[in-house]
Amino acid sequence: MNAPFFKYEYFGTDVSLIIAFVIGIAFGFALERGGFGRATILAAQFYFTNMRVLKVMFTAIVTAMLGLFFLSVIGFLDLSLIYLTPTNVMPNLVGGLVAGVGFVIGGYCPGTSIVAVATGKIDALVYVIGMLFGIFVFGEMFPSIENFFNSTAMGSVTLPQFFNIPYGVVVFLVVVMAIGAFAAAEWGERKMANKSLEKKI
Amino acid sequence: MKKFFSNLSAEKKLAMFTFVLGVIAIFAGDPYGKTSIKINAKELSLISPNEIGKIKVEDIADNIIQSKSDYRLIDLRKPEEFAKYNIPTSENIQLDKLLNSELQRNEKLILYSDNDIEATQAWFLLKTNNFKGINIIPGGLNNWKDNILFPKCDCGENPSAEQKHKHDKLAEVSKYFGGNIQTNSAAESFVKNEMPQLAAPNGITLKKTSGKKKREGC
Repeated sequence: MNAPFFKYEYFGTDVSLIIAFVIGIAFGFALERGGFGRATILAAQFYFTNMRVLKVMFTAIVTAMLGLFFLSVIGFLDLSLIYLTPTNVMPNLVGGLVAGVGFVIGGYCPGTSIVAVATGKIDALVYVIGMLFGIFVFGEMFPSIENFFNSTAMGSVTLPQFFNIPYGVVVFLVVVMAIGAFAAAEWGERKMANKSLEKKI
Repeated sequence: MKKFFSNLSAEKKLAMFTFVLGVIAIFAGDPYGKTSIKINAKELSLISPNEIGKIKVEDIADNIIQSKSDYRLIDLRKPEEFAKYNIPTSENIQLDKLLNSELQRNEKLILYSDNDIEATQAWFLLKTNNFKGINIIPGGLNNWKDNILFPKCDCGENPSAEQKHKHDKLAEVSKYFGGNIQTNSAAESFVKNEMPQLAAPNGITLKKTSGKKKREGC
């Protein structure tokens, strides 16, 4: 086992922060080059006219999943040292809904809004200010919603554990789901393009 | 067949490659299979005491005062001893219950007891179970008592500015945790300092052994 490098103490917290900074810059650059610094492209996902977000997200999920799975199978990575965010069903659902509505209204998610600010988008700056205000309100309100925040806790659970099926099967199913989603997205985009063409004619 | 593949678009080739990897995954085995624990007694016996991560009590005190909590402080003593006094923010998990506790292998842990023996045993136990970020407080609670709760200042009758600063800092930290600094005259008459009653200082919430864990990296 050689990874995760930080957990195996190949470098300390200071170096890890520098690495995180460099990775963050690279991630932001990739997002911007992918067109994720434009609210019109991001919001178009929710109107099914441009499925770029879905494609990029599924590509990221499948790449990371296959990488983690095969690196741990060959003994390079100790998966049990990877941090899993605990699941709290109801707070996660409500939080996801709030984030989703904010995404549609603002045209950005937290990461892409920072990317857009870096490229000088005023609407993204307003979005980030709103986001910071939301964080402040959440922090101030936290004592009154703490019980809900900690409710329906399932701990750090994974799909193979939850459904009690082998890891490899879950990996395969997610791959099939991603390919299916890609095909559906391509089909949907063609359909929408034809419709807009008919309207023009 | 070759013509069929060469006629495919790059996206379709990538999709096929991903599908093949997905199929292989079904038969590749359990990713956690290689993380099962095999205790190597020889390797264990060669671990030098110098490899044990050690944290100074002064650093622990500073972290508590500044409410830093990127670690879990584990008191290994018996519950009745823990109830009598413990380092603020610590949680009580006895040695024999460590592996069945909710401790996670990706957390930074700081272990202490009355002395080094129990903490070192716990360090070895966790290390052989692939825990990574484990540290102990050398001297344990006795060290805490001697250097944080009831520190002795070696300032003379005419202390320099540096000595005075050190004295003031020791006194402030000691007072914060309910102790008091021992001056030379007080130290001479000092017989045995009683541990203060357990009370978390203002602004510090004692951790519970159960409940939601600290989030990391999200």
